[in-house]
Order: sequence, then structure tokens, then C-alpha cells
Amino acid sequence: MATAHHDEHPAGLMRWLTSTNHKDIGTLYLVFALIMFFIGGAMALVIRAELFQPGLQIVNPQFFNSMTTMHALVMIFGGVMPAFTGFANWQIPLMIGAPDMALPRLNNWSFWLLPFAFTLLLATLLIPGGGPSGGWTLYPPLSIQGSMGTDMTILAIHMMGISSVLGAINVIATILNMRAPGMTLLKMPLFVWTWLITAFLLLAAMPVLAGAVTMLLTDRHFGTHFFDAAGGGDPVMFQHVFWFFGHPEVYILILPAFGIASQIIPTFSRKQLFGYESMVYATASIAFLSFIVWAHHMFTVGMPLAGELFFMYATMMIAVPTGVKVFNWAATMWKGSLTFETPMLFAIAFVMLFTIGGFSGLMLAIAPADFQYHDTYFVVAHFHYVLVSGAVFAILAGAYYWMPKWTGYMYNETLGKWHFWLSVIGFNLTFFPQHFLGLAGMPRRIPDYALQFTEFNQWSSVGAFLFGFSQLLFVAVVIQSVRGGKKAEAKVWEGAEGLEWTVPSPAPYHTFATPPRIK
Amino acid sequence: MPMTRQPETQRRAIVRTAVTLAAVAFALFVYTFWRGVK
Repeated sequence: MATAHHDEHPAGLMRWLTSTNHKDIGTLYLVFALIMFFIGGAMALVIRAELFQPGLQIVNPQFFNSMTTMHALVMIFGGVMPAFTGFANWQIPLMIGAPDMALPRLNNWSFWLLPFAFTLLLATLLIPGGGPSGGWTLYPPLSIQGSMGTDMTILAIHMMGISSVLGAINVIATILNMRAPGMTLLKMPLFVWTWLITAFLLLAAMPVLAGAVTMLLTDRHFGTHFFDAAGGGDPVMFQHVFWFFGHPEVYILILPAFGIASQIIPTFSRKQLFGYESMVYATASIAFLSFIVWAHHMFTVGMPLAGELFFMYATMMIAVPTGVKVFNWAATMWKGSLTFETPMLFAIAFVMLFTIGGFSGLMLAIAPADFQYHDTYFVVAHFHYVLVSGAVFAILAGAYYWMPKWTGYMYNETLGKWHFWLSVIGFNLTFFPQHFLGLAGMPRRIPDYALQFTEFNQWSSVGAFLFGFSQLLFVAVVIQSVRGGKKAEAKVWEGAEGLEWTVPSPAPYHTFATPPRIK
Repeated sequence: MPMTRQPETQRRAIVRTAVTLAAVAFALFVYTFWRGVK
């Protein structure tokens, strides 16, 4: 059907079930991610409600452990990753002048695996034995001893993994083969670059996780002893294999955030991005280094000294390309004609707060110091600075930045600013005190704690509820912007540059059927 | 606006990229499992 008229698409539910359009699938990913953020957020609030006071108040310890495990799985695989894939679907074809993703049917399948995977994962809470409760890292021996919920989790992880790998293949195939004539690799917008590198990370990391959880499954049911010490296996090997996936995964969650910040900061500084090429090389360096630092997550298992030193110094080296990026963002703003609309506010908060997370990461990288910090709330504080004020703030920045292009209407700036300030205050109130709790020795993943930790925990819980409920403002902003308001122009922001701003707002169902020519 | 079909060379390049990447991903999965067996 070479002449098929693709503008005619089914309406209603069938449109969303069968769509192969990158904008539809992008919207599906973004809506799915938003729902998952609220489910994962509700789990976080269960955790913080229980930790408001010492002693056991609200939930039993087993359920508490399920909440910490599921919160992480839902937020990482259901929230942050699908949100970035939603951005990729919407923006990559628009930014490189392609009519769609390279493999549109595969794109549909990549998305529709996810609702089934997460139904399976969340259903574990309803079965006897409850959800997985050994932590999202699924360390044996706990994960070998867990209930049927662990098997369902393993199958769900396989489905998420297949979805991610297919998505990554699609992104790479699109970027390498479908750029508009004249758009050389070093003319691509930074967001496209960061996603290209992220897709390679996904492709290299997810199959390793699949291998690890498959071995876990055979240990549980098919008589193997990969990780079972009683049968001659080695539980520490699981940690090595898991973190060989796990550390690149951290960068899968943050590199697209770097890309979004690199689009927004120049726009609202009304300047070109400072050091474009160094940004590209820094991103690639971070990606490379992410594969040779995994054992810094497991300094305390008893590695040879040479191993500890190698992983310590390799980890510290990541600060160099990351520092290049932070410097470039600051230099882009330097002497710029700055304005502070909501996307810019979130982008600046991203740079500042992510850097705090980077610094606490450096503290954790120091092997002898890590013996003190390991498995404490300091680690929890660190990775939430990286993943919430890093990844999630960048997602919010990007959502505000491109929302007028997606919906065709300007969002409510006043509500956006309220959302920003309540989020920043709530976030810091939640997670900054957790540094002190960790340094004072409070372990992570416990439903009860010693009396001296009470006050900081109470601050943290109050902050969590403030942060959580202020996200409802974002839902209000999105609903308002979808329903109407001030019409958005094609070029929504004065300082914006790039192909996506050359098409009308909202972006028509099909764009760049004839490729633009880049000079 | 009807969508224009991709040129045949581009279609082939896309399929070649996708199949290569899928093979790499599958090989990594098998290699991880095989290393565990060893």
C-alpha cells in the first residue's frame, strides 16, 4: 500500500492501541510515566509516613520492604525511563527532520509491553507472600528465598528489558539513518546526541540484567546454584553482574536529562550552548566510564585492595567530564540575556542540585570513607539528589519547555512557578536531612530506627508530603494546557533554535514528510 | 498530507542497523549467561 493515506487513523481506543505515529507513542509513554510517578510516589509516601516516628505504626516490616523495593522498580523502570523514551519519541524525529521513528511498528510494541509488565509487577502486592521485598537490586540469598512475587518481578523485568532494548534499537536506527540532508552528527541537537549515547548504553546494559535475573530464576526453580553458596555458587557474583548493568543504568537515567538541560539553558540565556563539541565528548566519556566503575557499589564485600583502588579512581574520573558539563552550562548562562520561565527554573535547579548529588557521589567513591557510609541514609540522599533533582527535574523542565509544541497552547506560568518553588522546597526538605541521618549511622531500608534519628526523619517526612502533593499542580498544568488557553506560536520561545520550532504548534500529525535541508 | 515511502536504500540501512543491534544485544545476554555457567 505505497499510497496509503496515513493521516486517516482510527479514533478512540484503537488509535492508541494501534498507533505507529511517533507523536502518539510519545504521548503514550509520557502519560504512562506520569501515572507510574504517582504510583511510585504513593509508595514513597507510605515509607515516609511509617518513618515519621520511631517504632512500627502503619505497615508491617514485610510490606515496608516491599514498598522500598517496588518504589525503586516503579520509579526507575516505569517513571524515569519511559518519560525519557516519551521525549525521545516526540522530539528526536522533530529535531533531526525525520518523518517518524525508523521502526514504527516496533515502536508500538515497545510501548505496549510496558503496561503488561507493570500490571504483573504491581499484581505481586495482591498474591500470597506479597511483593518482592529484597530491594530493587534483587540480591541473593533474599531473592532466591522470596515468594512467587519474585518470579513475577523477574518476568516483569524481562518484559521491561525487551521494551528498552527495542526502544534503543529504534532510536539508534532513527538517528543513524534518518537525519535530514545536511545534518551531520556534529550538527545534531545535544538532546539527540545524549539519547544516541543512552541508547548504546541500554543496548549493552539491559541484556546483562536479563542474564542475571535469568540465572536467578534458574536458581529458584531449576536446580542451578549460580548464586547459592550452599551449592557452591557465589552470591557476590550476582552483585558484580547486577552492577555491571546497574551503573550504566544510572547514566541511562541521567544522560537524557543532560540533553534536556542543554536545550533549555541556551534558549533562556539567548546564547549558543557553550562548548557544544566538548559536551558531546564529555557525554561519550561518561558513558565509557560508566562501564568500568560498577564495583564502587560493593566496596564492602571484601575486594582485593587493587580492585578497590581501581574502582575508586575510575569513579572519581567521572567527575572530570561531568565537571566539563556543569562548567559549560554555567558558561552558557554567563553574560546571557536570562529570563526565568518555568523550564529555565527547573533547568537551573537541575544543574545546582544535581551537582550536590555529584559531590556526595564523590564522597561515596572514596573507598575507606564508603565503609562508613555504605547502606546508610547518606546513600539514599545521594541518589535522590541525582535521580529526583537530576532526572525528574529535567523531565519536568523538558515537559514545560515542549508542552506548548505538543498541545498547541501555552501552559499556565503562574501555576508552573508555584509547582517549581513547592517542588524545590519540598525536595530539599525531604532529602537534605537524610545526609545527616546517614552520617549519623541510620541504615537504609528499615521501618524502625533509634530515637536520636527522629527529628531529621520528621523533617524528611513533612518535606516528602509537600513534594508529593505539589506534583498535583503539574497535573493541573498539563490538563489546562491540553484543554486550551493562549495559542502557542510555532517558535514558542524567543531564544529557541532547532527544527522542532519550524513546524506549527501543535506539531501536525505528520511532519517533515519532505525532509528539510540543513545548511 | 500522505506520507512518502522511504527510499529502498534507506529501508535497507534501517533494517541492517536494527538486525545488527538486536544480534549484539542477544549475544550479550547469551554471553552473560554463559559466563555464569562457566
